[in-house]
Amino acid sequence: MATDTVPGSSQRLDKDTRETLVKVVRHAVLLTWSLVVIFPFYWLASMSLKPPGEANALPPDWIFLPTVYNYIQLVQQSEFVTAFANSLLMVSASVVLVLLIGVPAAYVLSRYDIPMERDVLVWILSSRMLPPIAVVLPFFIIFRELNLFDTRIGMVLMYVSINLSLVVWVMKAFFDGIPETLEEAARVDGATRFQGFRKVVLPAAKPGIFSVAIISFIFAWIELLFGLVLTSFKAVPVTLFVYSFIGSRSIEWGMLAAASMAMILPVVVFLIAVNKYLAAGLSFGVVIKE
Amino acid sequence: MSTPTQTESTSQPTSARLRELWNDYLPYWFMGPMVLVMIMITFFPGAYDLYLALIEEPTLNVFAAEFAGLDNFETAFTRGGALHSFVVTITVVVSALLLESVLGFALAAFVAGVESSRAKSFYRVLFILPMAVAPVSMATIGRIMLNSEIGIIPYVINAATPFAAPAFLSDIPLLTVILLDTWNWTPFMFIIFYAGLSSVPDTLLEAARVDGAPLWRRYVHVIIPYMKPVVFVATLIRLIDLFRTFGVVYGLTQGGPGTATQLVSINIYEQMFINNQITVAAAIAIVYLVLVVALCNVIIAKVGFEGVWD
Repeated sequence: MATDTVPGSSQRLDKDTRETLVKVVRHAVLLTWSLVVIFPFYWLASMSLKPPGEANALPPDWIFLPTVYNYIQLVQQSEFVTAFANSLLMVSASVVLVLLIGVPAAYVLSRYDIPMERDVLVWILSSRMLPPIAVVLPFFIIFRELNLFDTRIGMVLMYVSINLSLVVWVMKAFFDGIPETLEEAARVDGATRFQGFRKVVLPAAKPGIFSVAIISFIFAWIELLFGLVLTSFKAVPVTLFVYSFIGSRSIEWGMLAAASMAMILPVVVFLIAVNKYLAAGLSFGVVIKE
Repeated sequence: MSTPTQTESTSQPTSARLRELWNDYLPYWFMGPMVLVMIMITFFPGAYDLYLALIEEPTLNVFAAEFAGLDNFETAFTRGGALHSFVVTITVVVSALLLESVLGFALAAFVAGVESSRAKSFYRVLFILPMAVAPVSMATIGRIMLNSEIGIIPYVINAATPFAAPAFLSDIPLLTVILLDTWNWTPFMFIIFYAGLSSVPDTLLEAARVDGAPLWRRYVHVIIPYMKPVVFVATLIRLIDLFRTFGVVYGLTQGGPGTATQLVSINIYEQMFINNQITVAAAIAIVYLVLVVALCNVIIAKVGFEGVWD
């Protein structure tokens, strides 16, 4: 209408107009995506805080009196409490174990001349490429023979398998960034190689260890398949609890939303805590600095 | 790890010898556990899948096993629907990877352009949050929000637009899965790309700006080439992880309706636990495993990790 009457305006915008246009588009895109990101969280949270019966009313009650009824119901379910505690325990143990196994190996890969180092690193990465279903199938058979089926120890071992490659790669990158002169100085002062690692290198690599620990925690925490195949009752993780909840005939939506919130919130806190090093961790150490 | 210091009190000479052994062979002690676990989680499952795929009845006794030739593979690809599930998997992996990379990069570029540093870090933290949602919770959210009867999204589409909302889980299940995964994992691409963009030196950007190159050309000719290793690694890792997809689809549709969303991983799971055909499941698993590992290794060999290795 009125806008296209200005002659020549569409051919060549002057610099200021163009910059304003970029700015407007940028803000429009960012605000739209913010809404897309926030809305599901908001919806899940509000659903978990609505009294039963109101949870899935349409048109939705935008204004309602929040209640923790669903959360109380949830905590009174012993299956949920067990599953949540199981996950917390198994995942934490797996993080400790994967750090104990992975961090020293990463140090060696960073500091020593390893024959075929590239191939070793790609082999390590290949453990991530193996589809978990193909890995879990043999373990399903072996675990039953070894009485590891439906045990927390068995699940810890499987969680280690998801994260070992991540820990080795990220920590190698962090160790590469720590100058070797630091340890050499310590060794001149009479420290052994091990003391140099423990007292000099490890403290310097703390941010790396912290971030890789949290990211490993998240990857194990969200895993469903291992629980589905390798547990039945005693070692059920929280993901499997949520899954079996979806499967039940008459779904109590409010409680399902509450259970999901309980699973999501700790991870949100972790992500925010580690956000500075997230890119380093998720890119397997390829991006170290922002 | 048992360190020699624990034996110190018992006998001095032994402990000294152990300490020497510990320090002289440190790289071996440090690498040993990792290598053992790696063998256990790579070679062992691969070999065992292959063994299971080649026998008639699953048995732990190798000598009692009856060799089945390629029967299990034949069953898998004729009655087992393996081929269909490979097509479904490739559709999901390729579409989700494309969507997530393009969207992740665009968001990273837009956020990088924000002037106020407070707004910048606000967006940066907000946009990573969908990653906190486990795939099975993603399925939960999908079921809650997309449900034809109680879902808010069909309700809004019906109320606010002239179009009738599609039945997300039965009419367009594959697209729904792809979109849910995109919401869930675009943050992964976003945060790595954002870090990559921030690492582009200002001098490089200044030089391009002085040249008078328009914004898009600066991206195509200066910024993206500089970020190549970052783009490569992010895409490769997301590709690897997309082949691992299970929870979101299993929680949302269990591979259905029919076999519309039956990923390879779901097909294998169903062969194992619903059809009780472990050997057929193993046949599909070994094919899947070999294809994925081969594909990733070809990509790594072709593109190489330039700039990634020192």
